[in-house]
Amino acid sequence: MGDKTANRRDFLKLATTAAPVAAVAAATGTTVQAAEIEEHSDSYRETEHVRKYLDSARF
Amino acid sequence: MAIAITANSADLSEEDGLRADLYDMLGALLSRPPSRELLDRVTGLNGDESDLGRGVAALARVAKATTEKAAETEFNALFVGLGRGELLPYASFYLTGFLHEKPLALLRTEMTRLGIARAENVYEPEDNIASLCEMMSGLIRGRFGTPADLGTQRSFFNTHLGPWGGHFFSDLEQAKGSVLYAPVGSVGRAFLEIEREAFRMTA
Repeated sequence: MGDKTANRRDFLKLATTAAPVAAVAAATGTTVQAAEIEEHSDSYRETEHVRKYLDSARF
Repeated sequence: MAIAITANSADLSEEDGLRADLYDMLGALLSRPPSRELLDRVTGLNGDESDLGRGVAALARVAKATTEKAAETEFNALFVGLGRGELLPYASFYLTGFLHEKPLALLRTEMTRLGIARAENVYEPEDNIASLCEMMSGLIRGRFGTPADLGTQRSFFNTHLGPWGGHFFSDLEQAKGSVLYAPVGSVGRAFLEIEREAFRMTA
């Protein structure tokens, strides 16, 4: 397994550095997101929107 | 212009970062008409003499020559169209000939298991090519929780993307309406081939 993993890594390194596309697209796709975990509290849910707002407000 | 560079997060190996970057780029180009900003970033790319490298170099050349308006027209003709676009980039369609079929149901079950949800205000079925590219990248990066191990990535790829992704990208390469999207098809086809080969090495 160790050998296989090493082979795979070498292969990929060789194959994908053919055309590094780092940072062309933000690594935060827009069509899917992490599923929201149901909180037990019914007063406040930290949804993706809330998280974005908090991020932007630097809380 | 702030570009999120999460590819270099500490515990992501170099090759996994490159894989996630490629999936992210494909996802961004295929989920909506590309902005000038995205086209400009693509313009800066280069590649070597491999299939993938040549595809990326061609994509950079075409991205430089196209306008945001032309790219939008092309995107709509290919994927939206009047009634429907030239192509239907959905796993269900490629695997069964119909939309909203069993492959979509299987994918939804798998998404629940992996903690992935459709984004709010997105109504397209989840088995579209852009979302699947985003999911692969998210699994590699750990966007939906902890990064998925290779076995999980391989099984997701082999079930939901591998069986039809290559055919779709090949169709995209040859579509009548493809100018900017022809090299996107070449890049996707070459990259999925690499992924398939790499996953085979660990099987």
